[in-house]
Amino acid sequence: MKIVRDYMMRSMNSVSSDDLVEDAIRNMYKSELSVLPVVNDQNKFIGTIYSNNILKNIIPEQFGFIESHRIFYEVNQAVENLDDIRDERVEKYMSKATDVVNENEDMNKIADIMLNNKESLLFVVNNGGYLRGYISRADLLHFLLDEAKKN
Amino acid sequence: MITTVTLNPSIDREYFVDSNEITKNQFIYNEEYLRVYPGGKGLLTAINLKKFTYPDVQNIGFVGGKQGSFFEKMVQKYKVITNYIYTDKEIRNNVKIISKNPFSYTQYNDYTYKVDKIDVEDLIKRYKRGIVESEIIVIAGSIPEGVGFDIYKILIDIAHNMDKKVYLQASGEALKLALSAEPEFVTPYFKHHKSILDKEIKSKKDYIKAGLEMQDRGAEYVMIPFHCDRLLFDADGRVYKLTPDDYCIINWLGAGDAYNAAFLDYVYQNGFDFLEANRHGGAAALWIAENKKVVLNNGEDFKCCLKRLHIEELEV
Repeated sequence: MKIVRDYMMRSMNSVSSDDLVEDAIRNMYKSELSVLPVVNDQNKFIGTIYSNNILKNIIPEQFGFIESHRIFYEVNQAVENLDDIRDERVEKYMSKATDVVNENEDMNKIADIMLNNKESLLFVVNNGGYLRGYISRADLLHFLLDEAKKN
Repeated sequence: MITTVTLNPSIDREYFVDSNEITKNQFIYNEEYLRVYPGGKGLLTAINLKKFTYPDVQNIGFVGGKQGSFFEKMVQKYKVITNYIYTDKEIRNNVKIISKNPFSYTQYNDYTYKVDKIDVEDLIKRYKRGIVESEIIVIAGSIPEGVGFDIYKILIDIAHNMDKKVYLQASGEALKLALSAEPEFVTPYFKHHKSILDKEIKSKKDYIKAGLEMQDRGAEYVMIPFHCDRLLFDADGRVYKLTPDDYCIINWLGAGDAYNAAFLDYVYQNGFDFLEANRHGGAAALWIAENKKVVLNNGEDFKCCLKRLHIEELEV
């Protein structure tokens, strides 16, 4: 039986709920990830912060509905709004209701979880709830390809 | 979870050529003659510990730029958990050219990596929560530009406040400052400086004096590489020499890291016995030195070398 540990990315890149929004944005930019796990001071997984959540809080309207002449106004407004929240704690903007998977979970079950989930990646924890990394749709496809080659 | 810390990682590239001639263009078509691997003292210790089949071994440190992503991917292949702070500047590349006729070993060591102040602050925050699950923290290697020489002292103090022990492999000013934080195990390296605590070391007497001084300054146990031997400074004031018999060295690279890993493995598996842990470390280093390998194959192969290691007490 193949388990999550066989395919996951072992990365503890994360932010803490006490970190600032600015810290999270800097981390997202440098690590090229638009979603990060949020941990407590014991490194236990407690949620997720999405770039989209931050954007929703700083852009007054969805860009798709903005008339072109208002874009400059909206961008300036977003900059001002971001300036207001960048010193706030990640805790305020994180999502606590996030699916996680255990590192010993059967890979066959991951397909189900991922297909019923909008996330492009799921964070992985051990039995103690400590962060261990993440597994992406690409990892799932890698697993499925391995299985297909067996047949 | 076992934690190792590498602040100045590198991408190491080894080129094997027939002869290393100046101004001659070399062409390498066979991948056997080109080795690219992730380097850095704490990291190689982590990779060795994975070969001992420890389920969770993490490496904490900085990585930078696109080369940093490449480096992290290489580390992931060894199933080591990466816990990196991403920096703007690219990490360094070390180039080694090894020629057969005549035999030569030329190294170009890159020390251009630089990190920002905010990266150091992020690293300290990440380290605090990252070591929660570990009993012993291995801190090893050089530090990049932008990081204060007191960084190891800061990291050791944090570990001690959380009741963790520290195994430190350092040199120069960073080592000197770290000693005041009283690390449990210290193994200095000195290929850059040829000195320990600002004193040149040549004779065996110099080495012994340096070891004792490190203990005076705060280290509990000290292990100093002494040519092909190791001088071991026990906490009770006794000094020993660990010596291999009948050896044929073909490779130095990775020997010190294998030593650290086998030392720690012995302690984890059998409890703390300073001399026996060092004998296992010595056997692992000897195995690497006699094989064309940078890391151990597993936790067993090197044990064939155990019987060739002996320890004698020195009169000090």
